[in-house]
Amino acid sequence: MAAPLKVGDRLASFTREIEEQKMILFERVVWDRGSNSHSDPEAAKRDGMSKVIASGQNQMAFYHELLERNFGDAWVYGGRISARYIHPVYPGDKLTPHGEVTEVAEVDGKPLVTVKLWVEKQDGTKSSVGTAWAGQPSDERSWIEGGKA
Amino acid sequence: MSEVSQDNSVWESIPVGDDLGVMDYVMTEKMIADYREVVGNPTAAYPTVAARHPANLFYRKYRSVMRVPNTGHDSQFFNPPIAGKRIFVKATVTDKYIRREKTYLIIEATATDEDGRLIEISRLVGLARPTTRPALADVAKKWEKK
Repeated sequence: MAAPLKVGDRLASFTREIEEQKMILFERVVWDRGSNSHSDPEAAKRDGMSKVIASGQNQMAFYHELLERNFGDAWVYGGRISARYIHPVYPGDKLTPHGEVTEVAEVDGKPLVTVKLWVEKQDGTKSSVGTAWAGQPSDERSWIEGGKA
Repeated sequence: MSEVSQDNSVWESIPVGDDLGVMDYVMTEKMIADYREVVGNPTAAYPTVAARHPANLFYRKYRSVMRVPNTGHDSQFFNPPIAGKRIFVKATVTDKYIRREKTYLIIEATATDEDGRLIEISRLVGLARPTTRPALADVAKKWEKK
């Protein structure tokens, strides 16, 4: 059974390199956005940038993975997040999402864990900051087995 | 002259409560697999992250006049999409404000599937820029000269 989190606990994390080819594909999966500043150097220049910049949603995907790994169903079914993208991310950057528990409370009879979030680049710069809320971690991974009934 | 006083007539014209309409699409197994491959997470629950529901619907109405590069998201996730199910998304402009002389729009999109399962409510914090100006000029000005 997953151990309950307490204030000060850090979430287990991982590091990913931002690859330009995957940035381009990210702009095409699910919704093809066409050429833009995340996928096309010329479009980036038209938008005022010197080179392509990763989309904020790229970092949101890393937050999701961090929270899925650490909370399981407690994140996937009802989790909430507030994130701000505060520093640009470029191809070749290595990103590590972090989470630290800042509060454990009970709301309407259910546990609610508040987690301070941030994404750190290889040089220590924070590219994103935020907060997430979820129940205490669960061992269940229902979405992988086809979802909750 | 401050940025807010320049060329912000489009932002001014967009009312809080503006209905951005609805869209629908089928979340296919391929979409889910491709998303998981691209983000390097073989069990990613929400490929809808790449669908950008709020921006998608906003641009269907305002693409020719306004850009909303995202500076953040405030979202809640309820049930992961199921492969093969049609997803319905509706969106509205829920807030607008000026901060540090920059104009913002908050766009909220609610996604449910064909069975009525609530998937997510996602709120885009968009830096509202008329298409007459480079959308990311502020980012470049602030960070690329360092």
